Amino acid sequence: MGLQRNLLNRKTLNNVVKTIWVSDKSNPSSLRRFSSLQQPELPPFDYQPVPYKGPLADQVFEKRKKYLGPSLFHYYQKPLNIVEGKMQYLFDENGRRYLDAFAGIVTVSCGHCHPEILSAIEEQNKLLQHATTIYLHHAIGDFAEGLAAKMPGNLKIVYFVNSGTEANELAMLMARLYSGNLGMIALRNAYHGGSAGTIGLTALNTWKYPIPQGEIHHVVNPNPYRGVFGSDASRYAQDVQDHIDHGTSGRVAGFISETIQGVGGAVELAPGYLKPVYEMVRKAGGVCIADEVQTGFGRTGSHYWGFQTQDVIPDIVTMAKGIGNGLPLGAVVTTPEIAQVMAQKIQFNTFGGNPVCSAGGLAVLRVLDKENRQKHCSDVGSHLIGRLKDLQQKFDLIGDVRGRGLMVGIELVTDRKEKTPAKAETAVLFEKLRELGVLVGKGGLHGNVFRIKPPMCFNKDDADFLVDALDYSMSKL
Amino acid sequence: MMKIFASRTSTPLFKFNLRSFTKLAQESEAAAVRSENDEEFLPQMPPFAYTPPPYDGPSAAEILEKRQRHLSPCMSYFYKNPLYLVDGKMQYLFDESGRRYLDAFGGIATVSCGHCHPEVVEAIFNQTKRLQHTTALYLNRASAEFADALASKSPGDLNVVFFTNSGTEANELALMIARLYTGFHDIISLRNGYHGNAAATMSATGQRSFKYNVVQTGIHHALNPEPYRGIFGSDGPKYAEDVEEIITYGTCGHIAGFIAEAIQGVGGIYELAPGYLPAVYSSVRKAGGICIADEVQSGFARTGSHFWGFEAQGVVPDIITMAKGIGNGLPLGAVVTTSEIAKVLTSHGYLNTFGGNPVSTAGGLAVLKVIENEKLQQNALTIGTYLKNQLLALKEKHEIIGDVRGRGFLLGMELVTDPELKTPATLETLHVMEQMKDMGVLVGKGGLNGNIFRISPPLCFTREDADFLVATMDYIMSKM
Repeated sequence: MGLQRNLLNRKTLNNVVKTIWVSDKSNPSSLRRFSSLQQPELPPFDYQPVPYKGPLADQVFEKRKKYLGPSLFHYYQKPLNIVEGKMQYLFDENGRRYLDAFAGIVTVSCGHCHPEILSAIEEQNKLLQHATTIYLHHAIGDFAEGLAAKMPGNLKIVYFVNSGTEANELAMLMARLYSGNLGMIALRNAYHGGSAGTIGLTALNTWKYPIPQGEIHHVVNPNPYRGVFGSDASRYAQDVQDHIDHGTSGRVAGFISETIQGVGGAVELAPGYLKPVYEMVRKAGGVCIADEVQTGFGRTGSHYWGFQTQDVIPDIVTMAKGIGNGLPLGAVVTTPEIAQVMAQKIQFNTFGGNPVCSAGGLAVLRVLDKENRQKHCSDVGSHLIGRLKDLQQKFDLIGDVRGRGLMVGIELVTDRKEKTPAKAETAVLFEKLRELGVLVGKGGLHGNVFRIKPPMCFNKDDADFLVDALDYSMSKL
Repeated sequence: MMKIFASRTSTPLFKFNLRSFTKLAQESEAAAVRSENDEEFLPQMPPFAYTPPPYDGPSAAEILEKRQRHLSPCMSYFYKNPLYLVDGKMQYLFDESGRRYLDAFGGIATVSCGHCHPEVVEAIFNQTKRLQHTTALYLNRASAEFADALASKSPGDLNVVFFTNSGTEANELALMIARLYTGFHDIISLRNGYHGNAAATMSATGQRSFKYNVVQTGIHHALNPEPYRGIFGSDGPKYAEDVEEIITYGTCGHIAGFIAEAIQGVGGIYELAPGYLPAVYSSVRKAGGICIADEVQSGFARTGSHFWGFEAQGVVPDIITMAKGIGNGLPLGAVVTTSEIAKVLTSHGYLNTFGGNPVSTAGGLAVLKVIENEKLQQNALTIGTYLKNQLLALKEKHEIIGDVRGRGFLLGMELVTDPELKTPATLETLHVMEQMKDMGVLVGKGGLNGNIFRISPPLCFTREDADFLVATMDYIMSKM
């Protein structure tokens, strides 16, 4: 592996270490030891950003603090002024390139300013930007059809909204109306939105303002790494039944979950969890909602939708983020039966399904298919996870490496047995990675999980660079 | 009063003193086959020198018909042929035909001193003759004296009392106080707990059978820390971690409070695992919340070892709620808290019209005196422990008895068809309960699957009563 890489990418490696890298794979630690001495370099990229002539970081930050409210937080001690993006790379005000391993929070699916997406948006912008659905337009129907074609079962009715929060709000409303019940069930450590209603579904205290949450309850999180039952899905599922029997009237409105928790720190649900839970919820009259805001569109590599990894078919699927490569777009897909309940009143979203977003969304679907992004996520993802697991052998600080495809998490702990979150170390490494040119995300309740969820055009060289940078930074801790 | 039925005269019952009972257990099969006259082995109720006045009112059938015509359709009753009780005296009840029953349920753990206890009746009567009701707008010595007495029975700084008319009202008030005092909304209660039937208390209640399909906001139910069925056995602190998780993930990080019974009543007499409350109280207070102890069933000396159920866990709550036994059957409830927490209600008006009325508080004060003078807490400890041991012996004999638990006169017996799977023996429980009634013993039922006997008699229950109860149970179970 090291030899092959070496032959293909001479430019990325310092000549001094070239010969030493040709060692056997069975002793990875020796290989890594040498690489950690050299500061890794970004893979080459044939693109020059436009010279930046706007206000610099300090100025921008001042204005932000003055006008954008005290709650608006930012990454990095010295906030980064990003002015341009191309595919999996970003450029700051000095023209310096960074590897974007977070994709604007798992949003840029095809790549920053992907030419085909830009083209579709541009074309539509020139024709018609907005008119609302009170009039007909082909883009919304085409896009809905495209989405429905990607769905299993009878999921074929699409509602367009403008964000993941809006999508989950709508899904919750549908669940309550359809079932005639009120109680929602969500997982601890989940994130589903920031509005008053979805704050109730969200289950991390840092994101929950002290307001009444409505009839929503959180069950034990089937977290293989930290969960009290390890990977035993049936015992976690039993908690749902216990809650239904004791904490509700016996009937519920619905159950919602991500398949790999995003904000919660790339936590994958214990295998086999959703199947029994879906059954219990349906028996109690509830509907099952899959929040695919982060896991959808092939990111997990093995499947197009995250819920497919658990071998279930939900009643409602919500999506956003990657759906539009950055366009403010979200959607709810459900069955005609459930959709019927919305017909009793008027449900209207002014911007939802506008021509520009619809055209952009449809272009995203095409690009992801044409460029085989799902398979790509699977290949690069396995490679990335493999290398990270090797790194885990080397550093005790890495408590867990998890995820699939390009939805990966690295949890740092100061004690492998106690699993004490290594908050300070994570913060330091976070900054170090930025200095080396890698922008990752952070997650988990204690902010000790690196979230690696890049644009889906991220390749193996990028993966290697990222791991090398992490290796280098950790060696220097 | 107590002397009347303490005498050990020779009656067929005393074939069933402790030694012969054990011997019977060994030879029961052979004996049943040998004997032609079964009557000889039937348990007999302890004697009681009291005859109720003759009853000449409407019949049971008439009552039932009128009930079905005018009362709630959801109203249910025990037994295939509903029991019509018209008289009560101490730990016994009488039906319309004058037949006597041993009351091992206490009107749902409510009759503490004993049915129509003469001292309590006298206090009520004397007050009723003078002044029944004016509301707290005016001064009234009874409520002040009773509050004083309650405060002296409560630990720590708990010395301010609010009087209500039921447990539900008391818990509703406690939950509202918690939310006002802390400024937060979320309350944590236990799965399988019961706290009442109004809006907030229905949400705090943790059994689906009692929860209607209405908005029940701001409540989170934690894992039930009970040793028999609970997933962590008797590891109290392990269960307490679930409360910590709820706070961390399911709320904004701060909560209004936590409420729990020390021994779940309606839930089926599940005792909190040891070490649970100290750990939980700590988590709750760290999150800005206050701790509410629901003593509606476990309070007023019923558990024997302590006056309040929570004392067995070595904690001091911020609010105590009580009802049921507080008035021996009077519609009375109370909330006891600290003066600091109590201040929170001063921001607006709060007045409970009937709460603290002279009659109820005079009765309540009398109850406290009787409990003390007649050493009922000691009796609950002694006879309750004795009864529990007898029931545990019965458990060794009958496989259908899955678990025997509780303290003092708050005891439970769980019936299961499979001791390992713990499959609830719902039908068998109904059957045994019915037969026990036929033999003259009234017990209660509880648990989500109705397979748990609840034994919570008036605190004047005697050793002979205990023997009779156990013998009856043994007899019925042997015949199953």
